[in-house]
Formats: sequence, C-alpha cells, structure tokens
Amino acid sequence: MSLFTSIRKTGLAVGVLLFAIVTLFAVPVAHAAAGDVKKGEAIYQKRCWWCHGKKGEADGPAAKFLIPPPRDFSLGVYKYKTSDPKVQIPRDEDLFREITTGMVGTGMPKWDDILSEQDRWDVVAYIKSLTDMFGKTPNPPQIDVSKKIKSSPESIEKGKQAFQTAKCYECHGQLGKGDLTKKLKEDSGARVWPRNFTKPWSFRGGYTAEDIFARVSNGIPNTPMPSFAADATSSGKLSVEDRWNVVNYVMSLAEPTSQVKDGQNVIKGLRRDALPKDENDAAWNEAPSTAFYLAPQIIQNDRFFTPTNDLVKVKALYNEQDIAFMIEWDDRTKSIPGDPTAETIAWDTLTPDQIAVQTPIVMSTGSEKPYFGHGDAGHAVSMMVWNSGTTTTPASGTMMDYTGTHKRTQTDPAAAGFSATGSYKDGTWKVMMKRKMVTANKDKDTQFEVGRFIPIAFANWDGSNGEAGSKHTLTVWNWLLLQPPTGKEVYLVPLLVLILLAGGQLVVANMLGKKRK
Amino acid sequence: MQFLKPIIGVLIAYLLIKIGVPFLGSLHHPGTWPVVPTAVMKMYLTFIIAGAFVACTFDEEGYNALITPVVDLYSNPAKAKLRLCAVTAVSLLGCWIAYQYVKPTFDAPVELRSVHPAPPSSVTMWNKSYPLQTLKNPFRAPDKAQLAKFTEEGGVIYYQNCFYCHGDKQDGKGHFAQAFNPMPANFVDVGTIAMLTESFVFWRVGSGGPGLPSEGTPWASAMPVWNTMLSEEEVWKAILFIYDQSGVQPRVTDVVAEKK
Repeated sequence: MSLFTSIRKTGLAVGVLLFAIVTLFAVPVAHAAAGDVKKGEAIYQKRCWWCHGKKGEADGPAAKFLIPPPRDFSLGVYKYKTSDPKVQIPRDEDLFREITTGMVGTGMPKWDDILSEQDRWDVVAYIKSLTDMFGKTPNPPQIDVSKKIKSSPESIEKGKQAFQTAKCYECHGQLGKGDLTKKLKEDSGARVWPRNFTKPWSFRGGYTAEDIFARVSNGIPNTPMPSFAADATSSGKLSVEDRWNVVNYVMSLAEPTSQVKDGQNVIKGLRRDALPKDENDAAWNEAPSTAFYLAPQIIQNDRFFTPTNDLVKVKALYNEQDIAFMIEWDDRTKSIPGDPTAETIAWDTLTPDQIAVQTPIVMSTGSEKPYFGHGDAGHAVSMMVWNSGTTTTPASGTMMDYTGTHKRTQTDPAAAGFSATGSYKDGTWKVMMKRKMVTANKDKDTQFEVGRFIPIAFANWDGSNGEAGSKHTLTVWNWLLLQPPTGKEVYLVPLLVLILLAGGQLVVANMLGKKRK
Repeated sequence: MQFLKPIIGVLIAYLLIKIGVPFLGSLHHPGTWPVVPTAVMKMYLTFIIAGAFVACTFDEEGYNALITPVVDLYSNPAKAKLRLCAVTAVSLLGCWIAYQYVKPTFDAPVELRSVHPAPPSSVTMWNKSYPLQTLKNPFRAPDKAQLAKFTEEGGVIYYQNCFYCHGDKQDGKGHFAQAFNPMPANFVDVGTIAMLTESFVFWRVGSGGPGLPSEGTPWASAMPVWNTMLSEEEVWKAILFIYDQSGVQPRVTDVVAEKK
C-alpha cells in the first residue's frame, strides 16, 4: 500500500510541476499593442538594417544577394496583408506576424525566439514611421473570414473550375507547380516566381485556409499576383464563395513526398527482376522516394545566392546487371535554349537544365569520404550528368570523374552501359539514369554493391535562372542502400529464439515443479 | 508488490529519457524536440535495468521478495494457465527483439564527428604562417569608437558572406542551413565560439571545412576555405562582429589571462 501512496504523491507533484511549466510558457494571443518607436529603432539598427538598410530603403549590405529582396519600408507596401481588400494598407498584425514567424525560404528569419512580444511591437512602430503611407489612419479591419467553406470534394471541384476561369494556371501551372507561361517581375523589377501549390509549407504568408483566402482576396501587392476580391479596388474576378473554393482546391494539392523528412537521408534501392524502361514507366510508382534539400553553391567562387529549385526526390531500383535512378524535381521552367517562350521567361542567359549524380569511386572502410564538392586529390568521384539540350542539340547524358573542382576527366559512358532520358511535364522534370552495377573500369567508375551504404550527392542547374557552371544548387553527401533480397535468416533467427525461449522456460518450470514436490 | 517496484522504476526512467529529455531540450531550443538516439537509449536502459535489479536484490529479503513470485509462477501446479501465458509472452518478446535485430533496415550508419578538434600549433594561410597559441585579433582595439567601426565593417562582411548559413541571429539557421550536414555552427550556443579563442576561430574560418583534421570530417563540412575569398583583415573583423552580435566573449588563453 505504501508503494501506491508514494506513487500517488509523486504523481501529484509531477502534475503540479507540469502545470506550472505549461502555465509559465503559455503564449498569449497577439493583439495590436502600442509600440515604442525609439526602442524599435534601437532594435532595428542592431538587427534589421543589414538587409533593410539604415533608412529602411532595402539597401543594406546583404540586399543584393537576396531574392526576394528585403522589403523597402520607405514605400509602405507590404506583400502579405490580411486587412480588408478595400483598404490599401496592411494591419499592424500583418507586420507583427512577419517579424514573429519570418518568411520561409527567404532571408527573413523568425524573431520570436530572441525578441519579446513588446520588442516586436516596438519594431512594428518604428518601421511604420519610415513611411507616410500609414499617416494617422487607424489600424484597418481584418478581412471577413466568416463565410469560410469547409473543404469537401464538391468545394474542391468548384475551386478547380474557378482556378480555370480566373486563369490562375497562367502563372501557377495546370497542376499548381508554378510553371508559368510568362515572365514575372515585382514592381521594383526584381525576379519573382509564383508559388508551387504542392508545397504549401513554402507559402510566405502562411498556409492555413484563412491565410490563403487573404492572399487570393488581397493579391500580393507589389507583385503580379492580383486581388481576386469582387469588392476590391482592382477589377474583381471571384465571388467570396469561389475564393473559398479556390482555397480548398489549392490546399488539396499538397504533396507530402515533396517535403524533406528530418533525418531521412537514405535512398532505398529495391531489387526488381526487370528495371523500368524509362522515367515515365509505371514501375517507378511503387519505389520509395527520398527528398533532399538543395542549397546554392555558396562555397567557392563564383558563388551563387539566388536559387529557384529547392529539392530533388530520388528513387533507385536494381537487378543483377544494372542500377537505375529516377530523379524528380519541381522546376518552374523547361529551359531549352532556342525555344522562344523559354527565352522570354528566362532571367540572365538561357542555358539547359541539368542534373548530376555524384558517387565515390573507391569506397572507404571507415567514415572517410571524398570531399562532397567534386571529391579531392586522394579521393576521386564519379559523376553522371544529364543535360536537357537545346532546340538544335538533343538532351543527353554523360559521365566523368573529378578529383577536385575543375579537375575533370571524361570517362567512357558506353563502357559503363550508361544511358539517361528525361522529360518535363506540368512543372516537374523526371530523369532516369541507368548504368551497370559493376564495370571493368574499377579505378574510373563507381562499383555499386548490394547491402553497402554508398555515399551519394546531387547537383542541379535551372537554366532559366542564370544557373550554369559553378552557379547551381547541390546536396551534401547522403546515402544509397541497395537492399539485399530478404534472406532466410530474417525468419529463421526469430523462430529459433522463440523455440529456445519457450523450451528453456518449460524445462526450468519442470525442474522447479519437481523441486517443489 | 515488491515485484512491481523495479518495473515501475524502470518505466519512469524510460519515460524521463523518452519525453523528459526532449522536453528540457525544447525549452532550451524552442520549436525543437531533440529525442535521445535509440542506441543511447538502449545503453541507458541496460544500465537502468541492471541497476534496478541490483538495488532490489541487495539483501536476501529483497532477493526473495523478487524471486519468490517468479519461482512460484513457474512451479505452482495451480497456476498452470498463468504459466502458459507467461511462457508465451516471454518467448514472443524474445522473438520480436530478435526480429528487430535481423530485419532489413535503411537506418543510416551513425557517423561520429569531433566538433572542435585540436588546432595545429601553427597554420599557413595567405602565404603566411600564424602561430595559433599566441595569435590575437589585431582589430580588437582598446579605443571604443575604433572598435565599433571595425565591428560594423565586420558586420558588412558577415552579411555578404556568412549570414546565408549562420543566420541573422547567429544561430546557425540561415536560409540555406537546412541543406547542410553538419549544420552550420550556432554562435549563440555556449558550446561554440564562447568557449573558443579568437585564434581558433581564425583558423576555422580561414582554412574552412577542408582544413579540418580527419576527426572533424573535412569531407562533409560546407564551410568555405575563406582565405581564398576574403583577406586576413576581413576575417578578423568578421570575427569581431560575430562575438559582438551574439553577445559572447572569446575565451582567453591562460598566458594572455595572466598578463592582465
């Protein structure tokens, strides 16, 4: 009994402690609070000016390396407003929110971990003072979200139709991947790409239904995204009901496999007797996909800071002779030099899109690997590259070895049985690369081995984004594991343990029983 | 009842490691849930179970209290049904554990890495040899106005070169940081620049990832070799800035400290 009493006491103490902790850290709901301009200025001049400029004119030292560019506070135009569409200015809560949560995929981080709520309101007060747009206008009312329509197959279908009638696809693409049909610019002239609806977590103004409704209704000021509110100052195009249907349609497009899972860095290569014929073969559908973040090449000159593509998804299948990779990535542009539409959409000189797969040539026994960027003098890497071609040269694949950046030697793709094919559809490239598991050229080609963790890395070029040569995106080393066919031991060992344990226990019970008598 | 004590104890310990540790971590780094790795958890549980057993069987009375119900269960003719259940349960548990060991998995190998490997005694960069033990930041000027000027110049260098990975808040969460492994260093964390001398940081910045000794996994670090892209002065000024902006002091060596 005393045991239960002590447990009860401990439980009570733990409960009280947990309650105290939860109460202590409970976050109060944000309401527009009065900010102190002077205090806000002090924070701004320590933390914010590096991008936004000392006078808020978006000319800080980092500004020229950022796309989207930092907000110019002297203009008082804000992209993500939730005020009523009839009002030009944003709500104070909009400014507060962007400071609090940051804007994913941009240089603007979330500040709630080092700036208190009051600090953030002070900064809001200061940045509002940098423009006369706000004047003495009171904080505008929030957009009406009371007519929200719950998502349902009917609403999604209606939203899909509204998406067509309002011509959203012209910029966002038929499947919502942002594969635009015309070049888009911000009012400032800066490059801007439409959102990819299959990755809602990349929406900079949030991705709840209310957030998206505010975007559709208010548009994104300063960008080509117009307001679709029928009662807005711009020419209205969608009813409140249709806008909610569009919201539900957009939310239905989320693609979970396009999100990188924390800690998952292994491509799961499975064995198949027959490998897929090409990148569109249905056999790929059942192969598990692993997503990897891309980062721009900011490590060596010439450095590159303004990428468009954010991740690659990779699958692998193998059999006795060959290994096949399927590399898939969302790319808003099919970059084929010579193609008139592609030429008009591209920023900078249009070059082909490319994807490269890098693996070490010699597998080390320890954790040592070649340097992740092109290997190094002591550790060569093998590279398989696919290039989308131009209107005059067809798409093609090639293989080469590197022992460091620029230290390249061509290898014979035919000797490795290498082939690569690719196709672009609705904002996504799919490229299949195939080669022999093992080759005669042991010091020039990677030898793929079943059951071994093989380091693997990727590089990607978006030719419509000025990406060529050292200007590209890349992944660090990840893993490829070609899973061995399931052996008998997987069933035999547990069965053996089962029999031994059961038998052992029965013997012991028998012995103890005899003793007792 | 005696029999339940160690089981409840082990269960509480398990919950503390499974939930308590990540909870404490989430308080320290909001928005994260740093779980204890399975391998470490297994090691802890082994010790805890062994410890609980030793504690409960410390004296004869405790040993008997623990062992008697077990012996009874396996020998009492009246408990045949219960015995059958126990035998089945134990056998199945063993079978399941064995399956966990032999089943095919895609778990990546654990790779260990020394975060702050021992620095060499001297390093050659910009065609010059720097003795790291006595090296000091030449821009840490005693004059406050001058120091502020150098620090701001360092800030400009930081924001044009480093901020993309190490972040606006010096927390290693710049907007490209997520793609890298190892993650960029978090300067606000007490375990990084706060416990390093400026000369160590100078060596790390100047020679970058490829300049690490092998225990620092030079093949995986995305830290650029800055001596190929920045001048010596720029690196020292950027170092001034990261200490100032993250609000920590560089560590001073004993030799320097004694002179003060």
